[in-house]
Amino acid sequence: MSRKIVLWGSVAILGIFIAIALAAPLLAPTGPYAITGKPLQAPDADHLFGTNEVGQDIFAQLVYGARITLLFGFCSALLAVVISTSVGIIIGYYGGIVDEIVCRAIDVVMPIPMFVLLIVLTTFFSPGVLQVSLLMGLLGSVHGIRIMRSQVLSVARTSFVEGAKAIGASDFHIMFRHILPNVMPLVMVKFVTTSQHMLVMGVGLSFIGMWDTSTVDWGTMIQNAYSGGGVALGLWWWILPPGIAVVGISLALALIGYSFEEKFNPRVGVNRI
Amino acid sequence: MIELEGVSKIYSRGFIRREQTVAVDNVTLSVKKGESLGLVGESGSGKSTLGRLALRLIEPTSGTVRFDGRDLSCLSRAELRRTRPRMQIVFQDPDTALDPRMTVKDCISEPMKVWRLAMPAEQKERVVGLMDLVGLQPDLIDRYPFELSGGQKQRVALARVLALKPDFIVADEPTAALDLSVQAQILTLIKKIRRSTGLTLLFISHDLQVIGQMSDTVAVMHKGKIVEQGRTRDVLENPNDTYTRHLVEAAYESSAWMGKNR
Amino acid sequence: MTETKDGVAGVQEQPQSPRALLHIAGLKVTFSSRSGPVRAVDRVDLAIREGERIGLIGESGSGKTVTGMAILGLLPVNAKIRGTIRYGDHDLLTAPDRTLQQIRGNEIAMISQNSGNSLNPVMKIGDQVAEPLVIHRICSVPDARREAIRVLSELGFDDPEQAATRYPHEFSGGMRERILIALALICHPRLIIADEPTAGLDAGTKSHILRLIKTQIAHNGTLFLITHDLGAASFLCDRIAVMYAGEVVECGPAKEVLSLPLHPYTQGLIASLPSAGLHPIPGMSPSPASLPRGCRFCERCPAALDRCDCDHPDLFLTECGRQVRCFHYD
Repeated sequence: MSRKIVLWGSVAILGIFIAIALAAPLLAPTGPYAITGKPLQAPDADHLFGTNEVGQDIFAQLVYGARITLLFGFCSALLAVVISTSVGIIIGYYGGIVDEIVCRAIDVVMPIPMFVLLIVLTTFFSPGVLQVSLLMGLLGSVHGIRIMRSQVLSVARTSFVEGAKAIGASDFHIMFRHILPNVMPLVMVKFVTTSQHMLVMGVGLSFIGMWDTSTVDWGTMIQNAYSGGGVALGLWWWILPPGIAVVGISLALALIGYSFEEKFNPRVGVNRI
Repeated sequence: MIELEGVSKIYSRGFIRREQTVAVDNVTLSVKKGESLGLVGESGSGKSTLGRLALRLIEPTSGTVRFDGRDLSCLSRAELRRTRPRMQIVFQDPDTALDPRMTVKDCISEPMKVWRLAMPAEQKERVVGLMDLVGLQPDLIDRYPFELSGGQKQRVALARVLALKPDFIVADEPTAALDLSVQAQILTLIKKIRRSTGLTLLFISHDLQVIGQMSDTVAVMHKGKIVEQGRTRDVLENPNDTYTRHLVEAAYESSAWMGKNR
Repeated sequence: MTETKDGVAGVQEQPQSPRALLHIAGLKVTFSSRSGPVRAVDRVDLAIREGERIGLIGESGSGKTVTGMAILGLLPVNAKIRGTIRYGDHDLLTAPDRTLQQIRGNEIAMISQNSGNSLNPVMKIGDQVAEPLVIHRICSVPDARREAIRVLSELGFDDPEQAATRYPHEFSGGMRERILIALALICHPRLIIADEPTAGLDAGTKSHILRLIKTQIAHNGTLFLITHDLGAASFLCDRIAVMYAGEVVECGPAKEVLSLPLHPYTQGLIASLPSAGLHPIPGMSPSPASLPRGCRFCERCPAALDRCDCDHPDLFLTECGRQVRCFHYD
């Protein structure tokens, strides 16, 4: 019973976040950059979360920033999952020397910390959100390949796949029609959890100024508030909203991922009566 | 119809110190068209491997496999694929033999879709016809494998294989995982299908009594080699080889316990 | 043909009959599932006397395994159990956990099915076999190890000291079954429950294992065999109870039941053996979630009467001492 409440509650929260991001122009028609009030104003009727050090409406920044943060998180997660699933299926199904090579390559890349790698890579060019998102997707897929591969391995050795081969189905048909649907539950769980990681990492990256610091997203907002002395001055409306938003959506995604896993992995939920 | 000549399968493990396991050792066997050959042996004797070699689902390490006169190893991948509909296999474990995400209808119509044997409109009709042939109630058509019993799943597997109207079927212990009464049902079904379509059958089992009921001729396998071959009745009554004798005795023992006569 | 009062199978009302070692009365096990209650075992009465060998025969879904598990309290949390299982002064279904723990392995032991995970893969078999002795504090650890080696040699291990240092995966199916038997026998239990001891074994190994069980039980021991293998039951058991759809449908001396079965299901089962010609019983056993009102075998029965559809037969006692759940023997 409570499992369902948790799931649907989290989905609702996620939905709210996404809706807010989409409806940003409606909720804050003036845009995130407009200076609409006096600096460091406390929340009032006009400014739901008050203003920052130059007088920009924090609420407007929050809803517009949501777009970038969410977009970054979901897009890089999507890319990571698509790559890791396709590669995982191909090497898990064919096995042999391709499998060996890819696995060794992954072994080499995996220990390198993503953060450091990103910083190194981006010193060579000043990337925008999109480029970093693509890079993160690529790097994030590496870890996922291993997981997908092991799931694919257990499916590919079953009798029904052998039976499909015996019928004379082509490899593509088998991979697409038999293996993919059977790893789909894992793909979905992976997507949700990867989104959560990517989102939080995106906030972290923008906090350290990975891309143009004038873009408004939750990470830069926190950075701004932090370096502008929001904590020292006790201006809670400046520093808290983006932080709470990150925690909120992170929690929602984590809980959704957890419920998905319970739903798809029957052994996890067996002790419930 | 199927000829295996000097077929061997050796599995090797390890990169540096190659450990070799001989699964099938220089086997020569043939099954005539319309005949039913029983392949009997204990677990580990290599009989399942041999069954798969006969269909070239696994590659032999040496030897030739001929299907209807043609050497299977001479065929290209595409040609081999095209020959597949004529030679099919039914597996032992009904729980893993069907894709858990496909309904009965999807499972049985898949071969038709792959080979474009029928228009989508016709497919459902054909599926119902096949279900009737194997004794499945038509209302099961939209069920998933987890909703079916072991016997029903095996029937679906059979229907799927029959959709291609094969000439040759390898039955790899199809009833080993089933209950006694269900076993009788499935085996009777297989016999009935054989009678009506005249297909060639390679029946693999560890149960000599079942083979006695299902096959005209029998080959006994032990540790990868064929130790005795011949007409079933002859081998069961007068086994020549010691291992065969050991198997026959064990088989008769259990029916003797039941108070039946030899 | 007289009808017994409450359908209790097996206990003859004789003045000097030994008291039953284990008495299952009115056992009903229902599982709660999403599609409603599933009646796995519906009213089983069975009395096992000391020294007796009784076999419970049935196919999957008949409720035989659930019955065996109920005795040792190994059913999952979502099982609703009613009835009593009397062992000595205890009712195993309501006894406290400590009592059950003392009894399990020590006085009532189970030879589990030889599945892949019935033995701990990371524990040496010598330690595993010695474990029941150590847990029940019957003797010290070194003594337990010595006893384990002794039992292993009795069960046919050529070099038991060497074998005791090896791990389960190093043994074949037949040897693993012997290890499971050793585990069950080591505390010299009064009652041994054997759950499909020969599942998955080849014909030759099967007869070795069955002979082994027979000689071990011959010393002193009561056997409760749960199986679908009629040959094994015939070899090991004095008495057989046949289960179908959660209830006992026939009960009597083993050789008699198998050579002259009275209940149509038993008859059908024996006729479907390969050695008897593979005559199938048409239809399928009813799902435990939706059991028919009348006789549960009625749909598939070649000798069904009109009343079989609406009335549910009790276990009737025949003149030859057999109990049959069929209106033909009313």
